[in-house]
Amino acid sequence: MQNDPETPYTPGIDRRSFLKSAAAGTAAFAAGVSLLSLARPAKAAGSLADVQTDAAKAAKELAKGRAVTLRILEPSGSLGNIKPVAERWTADTGINVEYIEVPLGEINQKVLLEAVSKAGSFDIALPASFGIPDLAESGILVDLDQLAAKYEPEGYQDSIIYKTANYYKGNFYGYETDGDAYVMFYRQDWINDPEERKRYADKYGKELKVPDTWEELDQQLAFFHRPESGRYGGALFRSQYFIAWEWWVRFHAKGFFPFTDDLAPQINNEAGVKALEELAAASKYLYPGARSNGLFENFEGYGKGDSYANIGWGGTQKYLNGDKSGVKGKLTYGPTPGGIVKGTLVRTPYFNWGWNYVVSSLSKEPEIAYLFTLYAVSPALSTIAVRDPGGYFDPFRDEHYKDPDIIKLYSKEFLDVHEASMRGSIPDLYLKGQGEYFDVLRVNVQAADIGQKTAKQALDDTARDWDRISRRIGRKGQTVQWRFLKGLYPQEARSNLT
Amino acid sequence: MSRSSRTRAGQVLVLLRRIAVLVAMVIAFFPVFWLLSTSFKPYQEWASSPPHWLPGKPTLQNYRIVFAPEAARRFAATQQGSLDYKVSGSAWAAFGTSALVATVATFLSVLAGTLAAYSICRFQTGGSTFAFQFLCARMFPPIAVVVPMVVLFSMLRLTDTHLGLILAYTAFTLPFSIWMIRSFIEEIPVDLEGVARVHGMGQFEAFIKVTLPLIRGGLLATALFVFILNWSEFLFALTLTSGHVVTVTLQVANYVSASSGKLYGVQAAMGTISTITVIVFGFLIQSHLVRGLTFGAVRG
Amino acid sequence: MPQQSLLQLKKPRRPLSRMSRLPLRIALVLPSQVIMLLVVAVPTLIVLWLSLTDWQPTDNIPWFKAEFAWFWNFYDLVFDERFVSAVLRTLFVVAVCVSVELCLAVVLALLFLDEWPWRKIAVSVIILPMMVVPVDAANSFFMLFGDHGPVNELLSLVLHRPIAYAWLADPHWALLPIILAEVWQWTPLMFLLVLTGFLNVPHNQWRAALALGASPARAFFRIVLPLSLPVLLVAVLIRAIETFKIFDVIYILTRGGPGATTESISMFMYNGAFVYFRMGYIAAAALLVLFVVISVCLAIYRPLHRSYE
Repeated sequence: MQNDPETPYTPGIDRRSFLKSAAAGTAAFAAGVSLLSLARPAKAAGSLADVQTDAAKAAKELAKGRAVTLRILEPSGSLGNIKPVAERWTADTGINVEYIEVPLGEINQKVLLEAVSKAGSFDIALPASFGIPDLAESGILVDLDQLAAKYEPEGYQDSIIYKTANYYKGNFYGYETDGDAYVMFYRQDWINDPEERKRYADKYGKELKVPDTWEELDQQLAFFHRPESGRYGGALFRSQYFIAWEWWVRFHAKGFFPFTDDLAPQINNEAGVKALEELAAASKYLYPGARSNGLFENFEGYGKGDSYANIGWGGTQKYLNGDKSGVKGKLTYGPTPGGIVKGTLVRTPYFNWGWNYVVSSLSKEPEIAYLFTLYAVSPALSTIAVRDPGGYFDPFRDEHYKDPDIIKLYSKEFLDVHEASMRGSIPDLYLKGQGEYFDVLRVNVQAADIGQKTAKQALDDTARDWDRISRRIGRKGQTVQWRFLKGLYPQEARSNLT
Repeated sequence: MSRSSRTRAGQVLVLLRRIAVLVAMVIAFFPVFWLLSTSFKPYQEWASSPPHWLPGKPTLQNYRIVFAPEAARRFAATQQGSLDYKVSGSAWAAFGTSALVATVATFLSVLAGTLAAYSICRFQTGGSTFAFQFLCARMFPPIAVVVPMVVLFSMLRLTDTHLGLILAYTAFTLPFSIWMIRSFIEEIPVDLEGVARVHGMGQFEAFIKVTLPLIRGGLLATALFVFILNWSEFLFALTLTSGHVVTVTLQVANYVSASSGKLYGVQAAMGTISTITVIVFGFLIQSHLVRGLTFGAVRG
Repeated sequence: MPQQSLLQLKKPRRPLSRMSRLPLRIALVLPSQVIMLLVVAVPTLIVLWLSLTDWQPTDNIPWFKAEFAWFWNFYDLVFDERFVSAVLRTLFVVAVCVSVELCLAVVLALLFLDEWPWRKIAVSVIILPMMVVPVDAANSFFMLFGDHGPVNELLSLVLHRPIAYAWLADPHWALLPIILAEVWQWTPLMFLLVLTGFLNVPHNQWRAALALGASPARAFFRIVLPLSLPVLLVAVLIRAIETFKIFDVIYILTRGGPGATTESISMFMYNGAFVYFRMGYIAAAALLVLFVVISVCLAIYRPLHRSYE
């Protein structure tokens, strides 16, 4: 991106150049992460292409002469991605796999409960990525550095695009196995409509195209919002669980990290307040269900075809590109808009869920369990997993973007934007007590959105509560992780955010 | 009453009263009807707009997914537009677990309860505070005891086990058992046992051979009542287990898919079957429901 | 010999068989006591300890080594807005549910005082809600109050305009489906109790009143109602205690959300203990709740015991 302060901001950086620069950003990110590997022992010998056969062979050796069963604790609805892989595993190694299913909203809790009950009831779990800090702190996760050094071949993690959640305080806890980067959806046919283009150019003096900044998006939402004729600006989320995520992106796009290096919250600075005010202002231009709709209502609502823009994930696209959708083939895609920071356009795509394969510290077969995760997240097997639409996994490895079945499922245009967003993604708040921090943020952001509090009040309250939470959890430990996490932000963010 | 109904105004009044009863019946039945109806709806009709009151294209697919997942997969493969959902846990396991845990817990509860009720009733053991203790235990919000119970069960390695759940259920239905059986024993005059003892029976023997057969019906009613409580229990099942031991109340929450969220129809199918169980038992003990739900204070 | 006799005095030995002969009445209650001890008494002791610590499993410290926090948990609870609103909200829900249930029950019971051909069937249908598994009833209400569910459909018909209100996502109205689900499920119980109370009133009293010229309404309010008051009281007290514990319905319908606007005490404690894992803090809340419950128990035990006699 243009880091040269001499060059004035030139609008109209189109998607192509974003994709190109994102590719350049990967190298920088990889450089950042490889700093971590300097601390680790030398990598095992073994080629990346054979990793699944090697892993299966090693596991078979370890389990020789015994009847071993691996138990996986998984969230309901994810079986479609796990079963095809597990069946192949059993065929290759003779080790059986048992699934322990818990309701989707309970998965992180059940893994953490294991730390209390010490029952040893599972070997592998699939918690949501933002729960890794809490799980690591509670001692239920195996630190996989040693095992990775033993078995992980050179370059294995290179093609996993987003790996920020794999690490906590410098240690490796499990492979990311999902691609939950936020992506924007727009109605290509409305953008291409010559009448609309003319009206837009007349009104705002610029070309109607996929917006680069949040200001532009808000303008376009207002432009297309015509409830009298049954058209709405956007189907973005304003319901409580989702609303804070949009604010998170808007805030970062204004050029700031949520904390200073000393863990003092910056969220209530001028930029944060402005971001919240703009978010609340944009709510006027959203479809009727925005304040109450959850994920699937959003799919259906946008799929009806009366809104211009939407925000979502791979799962959203699976629906919108499917038979039930009324907008198949009419969409174009874009990364989450960025912001102008010190004269340059900074994009801050956001990875805000994800699933990681982790190994339980109470497992009696941690090595075999680790080998399963190595097997399951290998390029070949993970492609098989992602192909299955009956689960949550979205593409997360370079190889996935080249697979014809996956391309058919998601569409090439979407995958291009998805891949680029993954490369530059800022992480969620991977701190101990993540749920507490974010719940406070959610409640206050929503209060500001519905007018119960002013934006400043809401963010001041949040910052105050965040300080209290940090104090209670232990500022020192949190600061260590925050500084580590900050170092894992993508290059673009690290160079431009304060 | 009959005098007024003969007049015209009286007849209208009676008609209005019958209509009111009908309205109450409709309201009482409607949510159950909705559950039943949804269990036969194909997935397109679950949350359609406008809602389908009756299934437009009734299907057994939801029941197949619950009870015969393989058949459901085959059906979905052949029939375009059918719901295809991969299940991991079998609902049969959930029904089996619920049946096992509920039955054993009921048996233990009624057994211990009968013994204790007899002691309280005939010997006034512990005076008035004793029964009070059990009443208090029932009044406790279970959530208040769950946190330390998780800790205690962890130490005893009882989390996520059938035994742990059985113990928890037994303890929490014990007050019902004791108070309900106590009210049945109270109805049997002590003199009957006295007569038996005169004939040479021991105290306890007299109880077993004389009183117990007479309260057989009450014992059965108590057992069914406690079974219903155990079968419908949710909080302990939710917090004391982590995936291995799944009861019917928990299994319902597992029917969630990545592409459509809550699978209403499948949940409705599961719910219908588990509720029918309770309804059947409930109607068997209909006449004793009042006694049970008021700890024997009110004889229905 | 003095030595021997001293020994004999010091250790009077009881034969084993005598020692095992506990009084029958104690032996009978022993199984129940053991179970209650294990599952209720010991956990209460653990709660007492936990409430004085700030134990969080995410600290990777076993619970008995948790950091001592004196009475700070209680102090924090009293000033915790979320806890206080949960308590007030629960009391509100209890008051509303029990009063509505009672009124509906009385009205219904009045309709069933006489005999008619299909009365038995009517009673069976009306008590059906009581026998539905609460979790499944809650799922049914979740569907009924959905955006395009029958409730909105009916409202649209009545109000002549399209209604697709998201009841369960509204911070102000989400309590309504919860209260309606509770009332729907438990009014039948109140109905049975009230009907029992009314039918147990000796017939001769109000028959005499009617014969002496009193209107049915007057006979009802002056004779039937006062005489069935003990039963009504039991019903109200029992339902109040049970509604206080409300959890299943809230968990299924809203999980306490949006935010914390439909959290009852049980839901608050569940979220605190199993979502945020602040178990020491929630143990303190549990202790407060137990204290309140025991006090209420003491207060109601008398009337319950009396009506039972």
